[in-house]
Amino acid sequence: MTIAGGFDENNVASVVAVLVRLVESAGVGVIFLGAVVALVRFVVMGLRHRDPAVFVPVRLVLGRFLTLGLEFQLAADILRTAVAPSFRELGQLAAVATIRTALNFFLGREIREERDQIARGTATGVRP
Amino acid sequence: MRVVADSLAVAVTGGGVLAAALVLARTRSPVLALGVLLDLFTAAGLIRLTGPPDLQRTATAALVILIRHLAVFGLTTGRRSSA
Repeated sequence: MTIAGGFDENNVASVVAVLVRLVESAGVGVIFLGAVVALVRFVVMGLRHRDPAVFVPVRLVLGRFLTLGLEFQLAADILRTAVAPSFRELGQLAAVATIRTALNFFLGREIREERDQIARGTATGVRP
Repeated sequence: MRVVADSLAVAVTGGGVLAAALVLARTRSPVLALGVLLDLFTAAGLIRLTGPPDLQRTATAALVILIRHLAVFGLTTGRRSSA
């Protein structure tokens, strides 16, 4: 099917596929970067301190990176719907997007709890 | 893309094990070490989610987060009970 200007569905699908790859790559990059930063800081903190409370800010930062990465993955899921999928693909996409949104919600809640812990000065390094 | 993501996930998982071992050795806190381990397992799980929607991979990542909550909650509750 050709849309105005000779731009057909295959072109749209190709462009969307490239955009999806870019957004997914950004998501992976963000999550991996967050994991590396947290890993380095866990090692440095572990070698310098024995107090569990010093690890809470590190976990807070990691949580933020994970949340941002998840949002990129959700954006890629939304982009995929731009190309007319089959009903089965759409159902699978909806299920995955729902789970990712739930993950994002729970990670966001944990971030808020840890931020509150740090603000209250009651950080024990253990997330409930 | 999946191959790259899986390789990165393996690297993060290995790093998580090392970091948890170090945290356990330094703080003597199994709960904290478990939390660090599961945090990085969660990161690895989310990296594996890259690519076309895969219900099994997504459910696995969700399961890791659920297990994290349950494990830390259980250990924390057990520690409070014995205190």
